[in-house]
This record gives sequence, C-alpha cells and structure tokens, in this order.
Amino acid sequence: MQELLDPVVLGQLLIGGLLAGALYALLACGLNLVFGVMRIINIAHADLMLVGAFAAWVLFATLGLNPVVALALVVPAAFLFGYGLQAVLIERVVGRPLLASLLATYGVSILLVNLGLLIFGSDYKSVPVWQGSFVVGEFVIPKPRAAAGAVAVALALGVYFFLERTRLGKAMRAVSEHPHVATICGIDTRRIRMIAFGLAAAMAAAAGAMLSMIYSFSPLTSADFIQKCFAIIIIGGMGNFLGALYGGLLLGVVEAYVGGVLTTQWAEAVAYLLLVLVLLVRPTGLRGAADVR
Amino acid sequence: MSVRQLAVAAALVAAAAALPLVASEYHQSFMLQLFMMVALAQAWNLISGMTGYVSFGHAAFFGIGAYAGALLLQYGFPWWLAVVKGALIAAAVSAPIGLLTLRLRGPYFAIAMLGLNEVARIVATLWVDLTRGGSGISLSPALLPGLSVNYYTMLLLAIAATALVAWIHRGRFGLELRAIREDEGAAEMVGVNTVRNKLSAFVLSAAIPGAVGAVFVMYTSYLNPSSAFAASLNIQMIVMVMFGGTGTVWGPVLGAGIVMLVREFLWAQFPALHLALLGAMLLVVVLFLPGGVMSVFARRKRMRPEVITRESR
Amino acid sequence: MKRLWLLMWFAGFVLAAVGGAAAAQEVVVGTSVALTGKYDRTGREQLQGFQMWVEEVNARGGLLGRKVRLVHYDDESKPETGAKLYEKLITDDKVDLLIGPYSSDVTMAASTVAEKHNFPMVSSGASASEIWERGFKNIFGLYTLAETYMDQILEFGKSKGLKKIALVYENTAFPRGVASGVKAKAKSLGMQVVYEEEYGKASTDFTSMIVKIKARKPDMIVGGSYLPDSTAFVRQAKENRLTAKIFAFAVGPGLPDFGKNLGLDAEGVMGNTQWEPTLNIPGAREFADKYKAKHGHEPGYHAGGGYGAGQVLEAAVKKAGATDRDKVRQALFDLDTVTAFGRFKVDATGKQVGKPGYTVQWIDGERHVVLPASAATRKIVYPFKDWAKR
Repeated sequence: MQELLDPVVLGQLLIGGLLAGALYALLACGLNLVFGVMRIINIAHADLMLVGAFAAWVLFATLGLNPVVALALVVPAAFLFGYGLQAVLIERVVGRPLLASLLATYGVSILLVNLGLLIFGSDYKSVPVWQGSFVVGEFVIPKPRAAAGAVAVALALGVYFFLERTRLGKAMRAVSEHPHVATICGIDTRRIRMIAFGLAAAMAAAAGAMLSMIYSFSPLTSADFIQKCFAIIIIGGMGNFLGALYGGLLLGVVEAYVGGVLTTQWAEAVAYLLLVLVLLVRPTGLRGAADVR
Repeated sequence: MSVRQLAVAAALVAAAAALPLVASEYHQSFMLQLFMMVALAQAWNLISGMTGYVSFGHAAFFGIGAYAGALLLQYGFPWWLAVVKGALIAAAVSAPIGLLTLRLRGPYFAIAMLGLNEVARIVATLWVDLTRGGSGISLSPALLPGLSVNYYTMLLLAIAATALVAWIHRGRFGLELRAIREDEGAAEMVGVNTVRNKLSAFVLSAAIPGAVGAVFVMYTSYLNPSSAFAASLNIQMIVMVMFGGTGTVWGPVLGAGIVMLVREFLWAQFPALHLALLGAMLLVVVLFLPGGVMSVFARRKRMRPEVITRESR
Repeated sequence: MKRLWLLMWFAGFVLAAVGGAAAAQEVVVGTSVALTGKYDRTGREQLQGFQMWVEEVNARGGLLGRKVRLVHYDDESKPETGAKLYEKLITDDKVDLLIGPYSSDVTMAASTVAEKHNFPMVSSGASASEIWERGFKNIFGLYTLAETYMDQILEFGKSKGLKKIALVYENTAFPRGVASGVKAKAKSLGMQVVYEEEYGKASTDFTSMIVKIKARKPDMIVGGSYLPDSTAFVRQAKENRLTAKIFAFAVGPGLPDFGKNLGLDAEGVMGNTQWEPTLNIPGAREFADKYKAKHGHEPGYHAGGGYGAGQVLEAAVKKAGATDRDKVRQALFDLDTVTAFGRFKVDATGKQVGKPGYTVQWIDGERHVVLPASAATRKIVYPFKDWAKR
C-alpha cells in the first residue's frame, strides 16, 4: 500500500485514468446525444463502437492503414450507417414507449454482436501501431493511448461546438429541449433525428477505431462498454452532452484509482456499483436529467 | 381460463409427465431445459409483462438460487430442501432490491436491473471463500439426484409458474398490476396500493428463478459466476415472452417452445447464428407484432396484450 | 390454438428422432472443443490434432477392425455448455469413447458428467490438479500439471540470484493452479512473491496493476494466463515500461499466435509448453510435418495433445480388446506408453505423472525450448532486454 503515497504512482494512475476516460467520454456523449434528441436509450451503441473497431482492424490488415488515418474513412461511413439505421429501424420506435425502443435497440445489439461473431469469430484482435511510449520526467505516456485520448477529446469537443454554434446544431438542441416547439418552428425533426443518430454512430465508431490500438477486442467486448456507458450517462445526467464528457473522464479516473488501491477486479465493478448507488440516491441521475417519462 | 384451455393444459401436463417412459435421456434433457425456460419466461412475464417494469437482470435471481442450491447440496442438505431454500433465498434477496429499484421508472429500472445482475456476478467472483470465485463449484455426482428427479421438479416448476401467472391474471391482483402498467399514477389515485403490488409481483418473480437455478445446478453439476449470471439468459427470457405474447398466460409457454426448437435446430452447428436469429426475432416482434404470436391466435379475445403499445408515457 | 400445440409437440419428437441414429459398425469417439469464445484458438488446434489421429487410425484399418468416427461440438468455451454436450454425447450420440474438452474449467464440468455415467474420459486439454482431487475414477490426464508449469523458470531465476516475484493470474481453475504452484515453489526456493493479483477477464486493462508492480521492482513477472491476456499484458508492460529480468507466462508464449500478435515485443518472453515438435520423442517430428503440410503452420502443444489423446485411446482400446467402458478404464489405469506427445502414465486418481513439462522462450522471432537443458534447442537468453533499449 505504501506505494500509493508515491506521487509518481498517483500521477501515473491519473494519466492512465484520464486516457481511458477520454474514450469512455467520446462513447457516452454519442449515447446522450441520441437520448437527448429522441428519448431513446440505444443499447446497441457500444456495438456501433465495435463496428468501428473492426473496420479499423480490417483497414489495417488489408491496407496497412493506421487507425488514426482510417478515421477519415470510418467516421463518414459510420455516419451513413447510423443515418440509415435510424431511417429504417429506429424511426419506427420514436415516440413509442421507452420499452419498445429499449427492446428494439437490444435486438439490434444482439444481431450486431452475433453477426460479428459469425464474420470475425471470437478471437481477440488488436491493431499494433505506435507501440511504446513517451517518457516525460518520471511519467510514462503510452503512445497509442495518448493518440486515442487526443482524438477522443477533440471529437467530443468538436461535436459540442457544432451543437452550440452552428444552425444545424442549434436546431438539434431545439428538438432535444422542446420537440413540439421545434416542429412548429418548421424544423424537420425527422431529419434532425437521423443526423443525430448518424453523429452518435460516427462518434462511437471513432471511439472504436481508437480502442483498436489500445485493447484486445472481440465482438463480445461491447457488453462491458455499454454498461459503463449507462453508468456514465446516469452519473452525468441523461441527455446532457457535457455531463457525459465529464462522467466519462470521471469514471476512467475512478477506475484507475480503485484499481490502484484495491484490485483491477474491483475497478471493473466500480461502474456498476456507482450506477446502482446513484440510481438509489437520485432516481433521475446526479445532474438534473431530462424528463424521461 | 376456459374449459378448452384447461383441457389443453391437462393434456400437455399428462404428456410431459408420461414422456420419461418413452423418451431417451437426451430428449428428457431437452424437455427439462424447455421447462426451465418456461418457468423463467413466466417469472419475467410476472413482473415485466404484467406491470411493465422491464427487468434486464432477472438472471441475477437465477444465479442466486443456483449458488444457494449448490452450496446447500455441498453442506449435505437434501435436494428438495436445496430447491425450496433456493427459492426462499432468492425471494428474500429480492425484497430489499425491489423496494429500492421499483421506485425507478422506465429505463432507470431496466438499467438498474442490468447493473444488478453484473453486481451479483462480481460478488460471486470476488467472494472466493463462499463461492470459490471463478474456479466455480463442481458438485460430486454422489450429491446429485437422478435425471428423473430433475425432470419432474423442473416440470413442476414450469406448471407452478404458469399456474401462478394464470391465477394472478384472473384475479384482482392481476387487474391491479395491469392498472399499474397502463398508468401508475392513475392506479394510485383510484386506491391501488402500487408499492405493495409491485413488490409482491417482484418477489414472486424472483422466487421462481431461484428455484429453477437450484434445479439447474443439480442438472449440470457445475457452476461458475459467468454461467450463473449469464447475460444470454436475460436475452432468452425477454425474447421468449416478447415473442409469445407479453402479459398473457400462454404467451411465454408458446414463446419458450418456439425459441427452444429454433435453438435445438441451430445451436450445435451455428451457435452465433442462433443468437443472431433471436435478435432478429426480437426486432420483428417489437416492430411489427407487439402482442407476440399469441395476439394472432387471440384476436377474438376481449383482452389483448398490448404492453408495448399502451404502456404509460 | 390446440392444433398449434399438437404441431409443436410432434415437431419436438420428430426433431428428437433425427439426432439419434448411429451406425453399429463404427467406433464413435465424442468430444467437445471450444470453437467460439475465449478458448477458440487453442480449442481449434486441439480438434485438428484429434482429426489427424482419426484419419491415421482409419488408414491403419481402424480400431479393432472398426472404422473410427469423430463426433464433435462447440462448447463455446463455457463449462455449462460443455456439461450439456457431454450429456448429449453419452446419452444421445451414444459414443463409444470420450475425449475431454479444452481448458480446466470446462473439463471440471464435463468430467462430472462422465463420472455420473461412469464413462472414462481421456483429457488432453486440462491441467489444474483439482480436477483429480475429487475422487473421480473416470478422468485421465495427458498434460503435466498446472502447478508445476513455472518450476523450471523459478529454479532458473533462483540460480541467477533473483528473489522478488510479481504474480498475476486469471481467476479460473487453470491459472489459479499455476499460481498456487508458483507460490509453493517460491517458498521452497526462498524467493518472495512481492505482488500478487487476480484478474477477471482476458480483456482487462492492466494499467493500474502494472503501475503498482513497477513500484515493487520485482525481478520476475510471472503470469498464470491464456493467450489473449498474456498478449495484452506484455503489450501494456511495454507501453508502461515495466522492466524485470524475466517475463514468463502460461499458455500464450507456447503458441505461434503469441509471436504473430506481438512481433518483436515477444522477444525474450518465456513460457511453458507441454510439447514441441522439436522434442526427441518418437513420432513427434512426423506428426508435426504432416500437420504443417495440412494446416500451413507448425503445431503447438494443443494440437500435439489432441493427437496424443487419440493415440492413448487407441493404445487403451487395443490393450482392453474392446470398447467396453470398464475394460477401457482399467486399461487406461494400467497403461504406460509413449505417444507422439510423450509418456502417458497416470496414478490411481487418473492424474498424469509420467510426462515432464518444458520451458520455451521467444528468440529471434521463433519459439525455442530452453529448459530442461537436455531438450533445449537454443541457449536461454538472459536477462530480459529493457524496453527502452530495444
């Protein structure tokens, strides 16, 4: 235990936590974007992330593309995939009770996971690029994680400013906050929903491409991530974009320190414990959540 | 329940009871798993189908019952006591959980239950002194009852679960549960004790998987945290009920039968394909057939199961 | 509605009848292996080993003059599925002989089913000693026990004056067996386990663990692992600049994929092997060549074990003169033979006591046996080269 008083150990855990948390944040922001705009919890969100991870893996294995370069292909493709998925499937459960959308996206998730297993098998895959690390004084910063963290934060902030500053982004927020008023003002809410889902899918896939450089993954990996995402959006407030960003970083750091003080098995449990605790104390999440019912 | 339905039920039970006389051990095993899924589907139906509180974590109670059963057998308890206690322990654990989680609405309840199943799995993994953690518990064949005992116990559980749902469905309790499903606020206003009703349904729906879990472990003889708290079990329960018809008496039985047959055809050769198919089935039902297969057969019925389309907003 | 019920009922029976028929003039050998899930890679190798034995034995005229047919299913790397499948193999496929699944935890479940039916099972994919501590009479192991996996490496470390060991392992039967062996051996050698931690999943992020291990400055990193977790750990060890004199992992480094996935980072990592094509065992080289011609890569020990399990069954059936369960069981207890996989000799519990284990190391992009010296194909490379100097 005494090594936990060592500033190098504490700092190193913080670095590890923030870098892992950045990916969580990018993933959770997309989930919250969808929830905000159409009040749907997309259980298949982490599976979209793995679609991105496998896309990056395929591009690396066939063309030798670095996942950061591959983003240029993966992100637009994922946007279109998400846009299409919304148009064909998800649109049908918009406005229906939450349980219908919950079960529909659950069905999409089961389908994606098992199609993944059929195509790629359950071997763990990874994309070995930029191995090694930068050394900054006493601290070590793994290169792939640094790259992933930077990309994640840049993308999440980029989408945030899109929502804040652009006409389309403002329309999206309007739909999110006052759907009826937005319709009256002549906003094409259906189109907004499709763009929102496309954006969320693109963010998830980007997170996946970054993940491919860091972790070993298989189609079954999504289960861990979606549940962490739920914890994050409940901590950060459902439908709250920035809340998911902070929540993701927070979870990453908390996991790192719990792993440091206790064990890694406890670190993997902490998201669920936080989730259950927060729900019990504040049934609508820590930050004032959007109306769910 | 009409006379005709009673006759069908009696014929089914008689056929199932007589099956071990003619069928091989393997076919009995298959039927045993079918009974297991019927009982689990009915348990899920009881809470989620009737009240509209969708649980994504009912495998937690199955796992608790399975661990209770495995440990009790190891401590030398007779098998029937292990099953009874499996149910009681699962029910006892579910009461405080229900009290806390049933305050949550819609997606929050679903997510909390999902988290709960994970927490249960982690507890079973980390509580090594009791559960042997990830190494799992392997029961000696000497402690285990034979296949016929497991078969009839599981059959009994399937019948009991179905009968319980049928009985609740008919009575005032069922009416109040459906009132909660349609509009909880309104139900409360007309004097339905929503807290007590939801909790009763929840505890009953936890006791069934508890007992089923204990029988399951007597059947497979091995248990580890990932088999006890398997996410795929949650998937199956939900798909079976949704497919058959949510909130109905016969829907889960029908759904379990169909899903198990699909599984049996595809499982040995194409494990991933069979789960993908379950996903597709779930999508089709949610999008195009909210009442499940039962709604096709029960068009004339006065009460159509429409939990999904009419759940309160 | 009634009609639908009847239809379902009959469908069930028709379905049930389809699976049943097995020809009488064959010897049917049943097994389950992981073709999906976390043991997918190793399970597949093992199956290919069985299949090569089946082909060869049939080319030789079969067992007792009868043709051998292999029935196999995918247990999805899950113990409960394994248990169901062995139930199916015994009661539905009515197999004559059984070969065990891959991995200790699936074997724990499967062997209980075999014991219940009093059916002898030759296990080529399990090594946790607790499998043989349950008083069962029907499970016969080929593998050297997990508890002894790291003995040679620890003795080597001791000879170099190393003292501090960091031990990490997955929380299932086999890795735990490796870990308890390491702890016992370290104690007897007067070495110290300065860090110990279990982890839950192959996909674990080891960062926090590695940061803590670094602070304890161990001489040796020892992992009770399978392929995916040992690969991930080495990668993250490099990222976080974790250094030690020896890096040793169970299972992973013994497989070709370890080098393929890690490339140059695999250099110097040690591991264990049950068997290598280069060992001086009659038939080992021939098997390896044939296997390579067929599957395009050198077999790892999982394939060798599968092949050896077939040969053990063959020897036992010949000795018994029948496929009768009781006779085969007795023959397996009595047998003392050498297959292409090495010596097979079990004690009164069915536990393997005849076969030694070996240590491998990745040197110049290849897997070499380095210990014991008598079987070595390369001299051990020591110490493990610092990540910063690579």
